Amino acid sequence: MLLSITHTTTYHYVPQVNTAQHMAHLLPRSDAAQTVQHAELSITPTPAATSTHVDVFGNNRTFLSLPVAHDTLSITAKSTVETHFMPYPPEEAMNTPAWENVREHFVYHSGAAWDAATEYVFASPYVQPHPDFADYARASFIPARPVLVAACDLMARIHQEFTYETASTDINTPALEALKNRKGVCQDFAHILIGCLRTQGLAARYVSGYLVTEVPEGQTRLIGSDASHAWVSVYVPDALDDAAETAKTGALATHGQWFDLDPTNNRWGLSSPGIDYVTLAIGRDYADVSPVRGVIHGGASHTLEVGVTVQPVSELTAAS
Amino acid sequence: MQKPTSPSSGSVASPRLVDVVKGLAHAADSGHFDELHGKCVATNAAASKATVQAAQAQALSAPWRTFFDQLGTTGLDDLDRRTQTLARQVRDNGITYNVYASQGGPQRPWALDLFPLILTPESWQQIEVGVKQRARLLERVMADVYGPQQLIREAMIPPALVQGQPGYLRAMHGVTPVGGTHLHIAAFDLARSPDGQWAVVSQRTQAPSGLGYLLENRLLISRQFPQAFEAMRIQRLAATYRVWVESLKAHSTEGPNAHVALLTPGPYNETYFEHAYLARYLGLTLVEGHDLTVRDERVYLRTLRGLEPVHVLLKRLDDEFLDPLELRSDSTLGIPGLLQAVRAGHVVVANAPGSAFLESPALLGFLPGLSEKLLGEELRLPALDTWWCGERAALASVLPQLEHMAIKPTYPGSLTHGTFEATLGRTLSQAQRDEWVGRITRQPDRHTLQAYTPLSQMPTWKNASEGIVQRSVMLRVFALRNGAGDGADAWRVLPGGLARIAAPDAQIASMQRGGSSADVWVQTTDDVDRSSLLTKYNASTGFKHRERMVTSRAAENLYWLGRYTERSENMVRLVHLCIEALNGEDPASRSLWAWLQLLTQRQGLVPAGVPSAHATGDDKSTSTPSMGVRRRVFERTLIACLDQDDHTTSVGYNLRALHQAASSLRERLSPEHWNAIVHCVDQFSADCALSGSQREFTALQALQALDGASSALAAITGAQTDRMTRDDGWQLLSIGRHVERLGFLSSALDLAVEVGAFESLADDAHSADENSSHFAALLSLFDSTITFQAQYQQSRELAPLIELLVLDNDNPRSLAWVARTLRGRLSKLADTPMGEPDALARLVPDLKHTDLAQLCTPNEVGHHLQLRACLTQCTQAAWQVSDAITAHYFSHTDHADSVGA
Repeated sequence: MLLSITHTTTYHYVPQVNTAQHMAHLLPRSDAAQTVQHAELSITPTPAATSTHVDVFGNNRTFLSLPVAHDTLSITAKSTVETHFMPYPPEEAMNTPAWENVREHFVYHSGAAWDAATEYVFASPYVQPHPDFADYARASFIPARPVLVAACDLMARIHQEFTYETASTDINTPALEALKNRKGVCQDFAHILIGCLRTQGLAARYVSGYLVTEVPEGQTRLIGSDASHAWVSVYVPDALDDAAETAKTGALATHGQWFDLDPTNNRWGLSSPGIDYVTLAIGRDYADVSPVRGVIHGGASHTLEVGVTVQPVSELTAAS
Repeated sequence: MQKPTSPSSGSVASPRLVDVVKGLAHAADSGHFDELHGKCVATNAAASKATVQAAQAQALSAPWRTFFDQLGTTGLDDLDRRTQTLARQVRDNGITYNVYASQGGPQRPWALDLFPLILTPESWQQIEVGVKQRARLLERVMADVYGPQQLIREAMIPPALVQGQPGYLRAMHGVTPVGGTHLHIAAFDLARSPDGQWAVVSQRTQAPSGLGYLLENRLLISRQFPQAFEAMRIQRLAATYRVWVESLKAHSTEGPNAHVALLTPGPYNETYFEHAYLARYLGLTLVEGHDLTVRDERVYLRTLRGLEPVHVLLKRLDDEFLDPLELRSDSTLGIPGLLQAVRAGHVVVANAPGSAFLESPALLGFLPGLSEKLLGEELRLPALDTWWCGERAALASVLPQLEHMAIKPTYPGSLTHGTFEATLGRTLSQAQRDEWVGRITRQPDRHTLQAYTPLSQMPTWKNASEGIVQRSVMLRVFALRNGAGDGADAWRVLPGGLARIAAPDAQIASMQRGGSSADVWVQTTDDVDRSSLLTKYNASTGFKHRERMVTSRAAENLYWLGRYTERSENMVRLVHLCIEALNGEDPASRSLWAWLQLLTQRQGLVPAGVPSAHATGDDKSTSTPSMGVRRRVFERTLIACLDQDDHTTSVGYNLRALHQAASSLRERLSPEHWNAIVHCVDQFSADCALSGSQREFTALQALQALDGASSALAAITGAQTDRMTRDDGWQLLSIGRHVERLGFLSSALDLAVEVGAFESLADDAHSADENSSHFAALLSLFDSTITFQAQYQQSRELAPLIELLVLDNDNPRSLAWVARTLRGRLSKLADTPMGEPDALARLVPDLKHTDLAQLCTPNEVGHHLQLRACLTQCTQAAWQVSDAITAHYFSHTDHADSVGA
């Protein structure tokens, strides 16, 4: 599916800001499930300098510095992304390794083979291990269950048992609190799912991106009414022998695949929950991928507006 | 175990002396290595008294024999005096350690023991070789972790100790620092095992402290024992520091001309003293985060003369605070954009951000393997046996031995990763140990176990009645980089160090927990390198220029130092004047009373609403207290408020503000200057507190306290006038003084005119005595009594008074003189605002051509309008200058906020 995305972030400052520096993750990345055809940022006021690099997670990270006084900063990211259908029959999940073996796979011992996904087993700034995560996860992680089946079950439970409630939390609300209250937004659900998976010794990462919203029949799409979205990737190594056996032979897999699980919408799939999803950036949690963060001098108070529009290009061409 | 090959072995102490020392000395606790006797006493718990005594009778170790031999019996008798001298010098040099790193937290004098820790050439050689090797190894490990990560791929290091470490900075991944090296300094904490073998306990790379304190220790202790220091061939330190700074510069793109700054978290950091000290010793600019700014991926220092490039940052800030843009967004200590400058290779940061993972004790257990892999060498200096509990085999083998272990956090200092206080298994009850086993089993990754070893004990001296007491000691040594590259010469080990002595009841040596420190003497068999730090510096222009660089922050603090010094002097004089007037023999005139009251209120010396000491004209009801009562209330309030901070800007408040400004300027102030300030604040506070504890603080006591403050302020002023380089910073200090003086004196004089002081002067009907009292008070406030008497004898005319206080060109307290001096200072100030060289100076009125007769002539209703206009102009000019300076020179340092979407 060919998708057009406009993501506008606007800050209004009172009083004006004298100088500012920002870091943005707003340009999508290409991977197996999507090809970025075009992506660009437009920024007002014009920064003195901008630079975009690929960070350690493979994301596009942009720095901008604004050494001039301004009371409004507007960053618009426009991109065109082709998403690809990733075939994966759901029943295949039954053939993924038992979750205990996957956990064992990540346990360090001298001379063990290395798997890059290990990095995502560890605690990260927004997702610290806590017994509450383990308690919640336990019902899904029954012994010997295939890892993907268990993870999807957990996702489905969060979808079912939690209330999606805008403004019930903000970025400073810890995932634990959202877990206790059984409500939050997509970002909280993603952090909770990550926390639960990691307490089981599994590798889980945070994905920020977009989702095409469905327009009810006969209505037109409201520009800017969409929001950026967040979900989770869980790592499934290629088939493993049972733990005792692998420990003996040392023949551990070092390859595997990431499956994307969206607890907000109860959707999942290989590399992406579906062709209506666009991945913007991937990290250990929100801290690694925040769309815009910065340091300002001046500007005692500020307001923030974010507008996102994701629409199929076919819709655009049909309209014109 | 030590063969007597050290240079000291030839000398033999006189038998009597040895006996004396033996008589004074307690043996080390059993099971600890005994530095004094050079051996360990039986570790057997049931060591009999006889064994201990036998040990005591052992000969002193060779270095200590020489030490005491050099000291002689007279020296031995003199140890108490030396201890006192030492304590006084620590105080005089202002060496402090902030116990609580917060504003207003107590500053504790640095604790330094009289005796040095002495290392023989053999001992040192082992340490030196081993530490160099370990520093090389750490550099290689870091280069791999931020580069190819081969060690993780081959499971030589658990990923949990790299990617699972909050101290592993992803922002630095794939970055080769400019100059090619990550590490420029590494500190190693060493313990001496009972067998006499030194072993590594921990290592510090982020921002190790001690390099400044150990220099002070050396300075003070070598002075206490000059003969022993000379005779024992103790290695000097300066050359290693010099080579290190040269190496730092060589790593930058600017080479020898590089500008090196020392980045401090600021005066509230517990080791700020040594940041200031080290900066001054090494000739570096001492900077805080907001002194620096990043433009185009380059680091600049904000100075009075604009932005100056910085090429090397020696940091004393933990990594996570370095750059609020990419790291901790709530850090107010860092520099937004710094990591971009690091990645671009435009600045050397020593050490490169991201070394914190090396500090984990868990890593120690993996280093022997890493050394074989990376260097192809066995480690020359062992570490205490250390096990990371995240490795199951290790966990299973050491958990049952918890009693003999120290339990340490794998992720020290990280609140999010479960840090905790290191704990010794042997101090725990069985139940407590079981609890720990549970905790460790639940989260093995977060725990590291290290074999407990009794620390060696060295002689310490408190006083003759306690004699020589042996205390546990840890040794911190420093590897400092010696140029680029990876060879055996890439590092030098500072031949000395910081010995940390445990408090009597403590198991762990810690300065935070009431421990002490000692100088470290490293003996050599070679010649002693006596070169000083300064010999290499010639009069290169770049060096000279930088020495005079004044940061905007320092400028701001200097300006306020000047203003608060002047204001304190004025307030002291004013309160003094009030108390004298209240208790004097001469009856005070109505106008004098009105003037003093209004003045003290406006200056905030008494809270608003205190009843006036003198009944006002329309206040004649019988219910009002008598004048005597009113005066006593006023006096008591004035005195009670002397050291208050609530609702008043008291004398004490101003002194503390002075102290505050000065504490951020430690590297620019002479020790005498700083001591005078500390002494002044402490003494005044103590005087007030002492008197406050009594039933009544008498006027006499208050006057004594004020006199004390006045003398101390005179010393401070003297230091400011005579002891400081006349650079831009000094200009600002002087501007601060003169702005304050101009503003205060002109407004005080104006108030005197307002309340009618000069009307009464001109009015013959008033009694001569009343005239006289106000006249004298004015002269006294302007500190011009003597000058006036010399010039005009007993005159009580208005014209001579105005001439002396307003127009005189030679009286440093006259407004004309103050204004002229201020103009002169302002025109010297670099880079004046508004694009005109003298724009600031022109704000200040020139009183040269003011006509005295006009000023002294009242209008038809007796008002001195001309005079008041002139005074108002002076007052306004003072505050305009202050605003303009603040806006132009200091406003860079505005507050930074973090935002996120």
